[in-house]
Amino acid sequence: MVQNMLMNLLHIFIFPGLLFVTVIGVLMTGIDRKLVARMQKRVGPPIVQGFYDFFKLMGKESIVPEAANKPAFLAAPIIGYVSLVVMVLFIPMFSFSVYSGTADMIVLIYLLTIPGVALIVGGTASGNPYAGVGASREMVAMIGYELPLILSVLAVCRKVGGSAMTFSLNEIVNWQAANGCALFQWALIPAALAFLLVIPGEVGTQPFDVAEAETEILEGPLIEYSGAPLAMFKLNTALKMFIMPAMFVALFLGGVHTGNVVLDVVLFILLTGLVSFITMTVPHAIAARFKVERLFKFYWTLVAALGLVSLVLVWFGL
Amino acid sequence: MSYIHFPVIAVMGQFLAAFLVAIFGSKSRKASQAITLIASACAFVLVCLLIKPVALDGQIISYWMGNWEPVSGYAIGIGYEMDALGLFFAVLVSFIILMSAIYSLRYLEHDEAVDRYYTLFLMLSGSLLGLVMTGDLFNMFIMIEIMTFSAVGLTAFRNYIPEALEAAMKYLVIGSVGSSMTLAGVALLYAQTHTLNMAQVAAKIGAMQASGGLTPTVVFAFGLMFVGFGIKSFMFPFHTPVADAHPVAPTSFSMVFSTMVIKAGVYGLIRIAYIVFQVMDKSSVQILITAFGCVTMFLGVTMALAQHDFKRLLAFHSISQIGYIITALGLGTALGLTGSLFHVMNHTLFKALLFMCAGAVLHMTGSKNLDELGGLSKKMPHTTICFLIAAFSIAGIPPFNGFASKWMIYQATYEKAVESGNFFYALVTVVAVVVSVLTLASFIKVTMSVFFGQLPEKYKDAKEAPASMLIPMWITAILCLGTGVLYQLVDRTLTAPAVAASLTPANYVDKMMGSGYAASFSVKDAVATAVQHMSYWNPVLWLTLLVIVMLGVFIVILSGDNERGPVLKTKEPVADGKYATFFSGEKYRHSHMGGSDLFWGFKHDMKPYFDFIEEKHSGVLTDYTLWTIVAMAVIVVYTFVFVK
Amino acid sequence: MDATIHSVLSVNYVAAIFLIVLGLYTVVAKTNLIKIILGLSIIDYGINLFIVSTGFNGGTSPQFTLSELFSGQYFVDPVPQALTLTSIVIGACVDAMALALVIAIYKRYKTVDATEIRRLHG
Repeated sequence: MVQNMLMNLLHIFIFPGLLFVTVIGVLMTGIDRKLVARMQKRVGPPIVQGFYDFFKLMGKESIVPEAANKPAFLAAPIIGYVSLVVMVLFIPMFSFSVYSGTADMIVLIYLLTIPGVALIVGGTASGNPYAGVGASREMVAMIGYELPLILSVLAVCRKVGGSAMTFSLNEIVNWQAANGCALFQWALIPAALAFLLVIPGEVGTQPFDVAEAETEILEGPLIEYSGAPLAMFKLNTALKMFIMPAMFVALFLGGVHTGNVVLDVVLFILLTGLVSFITMTVPHAIAARFKVERLFKFYWTLVAALGLVSLVLVWFGL
Repeated sequence: MSYIHFPVIAVMGQFLAAFLVAIFGSKSRKASQAITLIASACAFVLVCLLIKPVALDGQIISYWMGNWEPVSGYAIGIGYEMDALGLFFAVLVSFIILMSAIYSLRYLEHDEAVDRYYTLFLMLSGSLLGLVMTGDLFNMFIMIEIMTFSAVGLTAFRNYIPEALEAAMKYLVIGSVGSSMTLAGVALLYAQTHTLNMAQVAAKIGAMQASGGLTPTVVFAFGLMFVGFGIKSFMFPFHTPVADAHPVAPTSFSMVFSTMVIKAGVYGLIRIAYIVFQVMDKSSVQILITAFGCVTMFLGVTMALAQHDFKRLLAFHSISQIGYIITALGLGTALGLTGSLFHVMNHTLFKALLFMCAGAVLHMTGSKNLDELGGLSKKMPHTTICFLIAAFSIAGIPPFNGFASKWMIYQATYEKAVESGNFFYALVTVVAVVVSVLTLASFIKVTMSVFFGQLPEKYKDAKEAPASMLIPMWITAILCLGTGVLYQLVDRTLTAPAVAASLTPANYVDKMMGSGYAASFSVKDAVATAVQHMSYWNPVLWLTLLVIVMLGVFIVILSGDNERGPVLKTKEPVADGKYATFFSGEKYRHSHMGGSDLFWGFKHDMKPYFDFIEEKHSGVLTDYTLWTIVAMAVIVVYTFVFVK
Repeated sequence: MDATIHSVLSVNYVAAIFLIVLGLYTVVAKTNLIKIILGLSIIDYGINLFIVSTGFNGGTSPQFTLSELFSGQYFVDPVPQALTLTSIVIGACVDAMALALVIAIYKRYKTVDATEIRRLHG
């Protein structure tokens, strides 16, 4: 009993919970920045730059402006961070999973909206009009990418479940272990593409970072933040950078089962890094930022069509 | 006295109290308020005392007025029958009436002739309670009429606002057309079955279905009654009176209107579709109801995104949530009905809370224009917190109650899609999720433009709402959180018995007419499929996880050294200094973002759609009645062609 | 007997349907508020006629004292007549309320044309 609780606490706080996902997320932002710099023929910051930034920000003074609503202003980044940590406990890393419910997919999608809402609430609580504009753009982006996300997740769930219902990530991973990766079912390829395009929108890196458009609206929702809350918001982005590709790997590439648990986890992390490179680093280096209405149109026409095609194909048994 | 008499006492008590207020209230405001409070509290207590026998033990209370028991198998009296479904609605009605009565103590302090308000209010409450407790078709029609009149009167209560009269006129015309159609349906049913008692009609229709199919008269009656109750529940083409009536009615009535008056139509729909006509297992009926619900959902939320007026926006959100409820009850499965009823309860709670907050803002600042308000969270902190709780509930953020019921609805639609193989239901699931995100967007917009942001000069002196308005807000807010976390308890106590009651018309018939009656007419006992639903989502587990992680984070934060400067906030003037709003070097000026300027990208892309629907909602009464009649014709033709 | 009942009732039912449709048309097509209220009333009268007609089965009127009762007596169904009376009262209430509203609207808007009374729109 005590050992069970200790094991649980270990999972929640060390691996794969708080400490692990924070370290990995910050490392991934560092690697991302380095690779983008190299692709743009610059030297770029060192890979551990994320940690330097974090500790520097923690040491700075945090100023709450007069016009801001203090409780909401300070609580927003923490709520976002906490829900992200809870989310990572539910993603199965091939054969290793901490908690698994029978219908986690919907809960995960709902939990994914919480960091976005936290950014918006934090931004609007600042009392700054630039923050208001940034928050509203973030909301438009959220409306944009939720539709294709739902469509592709429904397509995968239907394919895996057959004529039963399944929303459990564990079942999806097990099905892929038995039948081969979901990515190789040709009816699910449009869904995979749609999810790949949703990942950078959700994380908020270029070219989809309409919310924190530095050149247009001066950092948007984060304009009044400084010090520790700003550090937490940067952590949120870092965590999302790990979690979203991890979800993709679990959903679409989950069929790998080498015998060894440790090897599985290492392979999982490597695949996550690869997906992150393809979807976030490369577009970051080569593309310019979307305009907000074009972003919305992009998600609701092209990407949603991909998801819908996949859903229809899967529905009619192909 | 035994609890059999409680339903009738509750209803009659309200009408008696209405009379007393009319007699004694014109001299003293306090007398009318006291009578109203006592009457609402008594009704609430009586209904709650009924929870144990009716819902938990599964009894059905049947009460024949004047003791006119059925004679040789024919019902000749007016019967009141209270089963778990009626009790579910009765608990909600009496709770909201009580909250509204407390809220109106201070809200109406600037109005005159308050005793007339309370008279109409008590008549409304009595008719709502009577509607959910009655077992007689014509009595149901009468109660709906009383409800409509009271609602129209209360909408037009502030008759110094011209728009109130206009809204009341539109509601009266469209509502009357609806009631007339219900009456026509009742007349047709009487012509076919020669009885007005719902249990006996259910038995006869059950026999008809078992022996060959429904006669055209009954099908026509179903179509007409569906239209009638659809108008009362403000589905898609009939939704216009709601949008017009809410901004102009006093808020303590708006909250009752938006929650229970609309739900009366939903209750009628459930009663006729599941118990009286027993047509919910026909896929044509399911597709009809689900399709209307789906369009209502989407139209409600997109119209809400275009509004400038706080309460009109909330009205459109009501319409959208009613769309959810109708979609879920149109599925015909046990899980769908559970989700629908649970959402009825949750919608009652969070919509009442939203309207109370809107009323508090209107009362203290005098404005409900989203473009003008702003930054009120500093002046009205309690209202802000309650509003945030309600906004998160309606958007479906865990762990509030909206999440639980919305999840049930998604699961029900998806299960139905998988089970029936019909792609239409999968699309319904997708639309439902998108509508949920759009609801979240809309409430972010409202929160931004009313509570956060910069405080305009003219609202500098706004104060927090008075205590008698805050108490019902806090009670409802705590219930929102409580029913979200402890939803299994609520489900066991209230929802599951209600679902079981509506899926077994045989019990209903038996209790009213004597046991064995149902079997002699071979009324189908719908098999209630095992509702294996949210056992997956254990909110206590998730909450525990959240709390543990948050504790960990706080330990890390607080263990750092404090000398780097805690979070500071001073009273320096905002134009200058390091606590001012950052404008990157430009001069400080008040440049609050008006509510309608938000979400520009979304509105720009969907401009053709928004222009179309805004133009269609022209405000002209004859346009709205044209939609009503066209929809009525479509529904009647559809039922004739497809419902056999 | 049945044939006469049938022909009598057919006229009734057709007239009732005609009144209802006429009322519905008035509510949609006329823009004067008073005409719209008249249309509402016509719908109600049509439905009342319909309800009364459902009770007719060729018998006598159901009015007699207890001493005149004997088994096998043939009278029309009294329940629809009760329903119709109630419905007439309700129709009168609707008319009264609607006309009161129209008077108040006229005082404020100075017109009873429905196309001009549209301050709540969009």
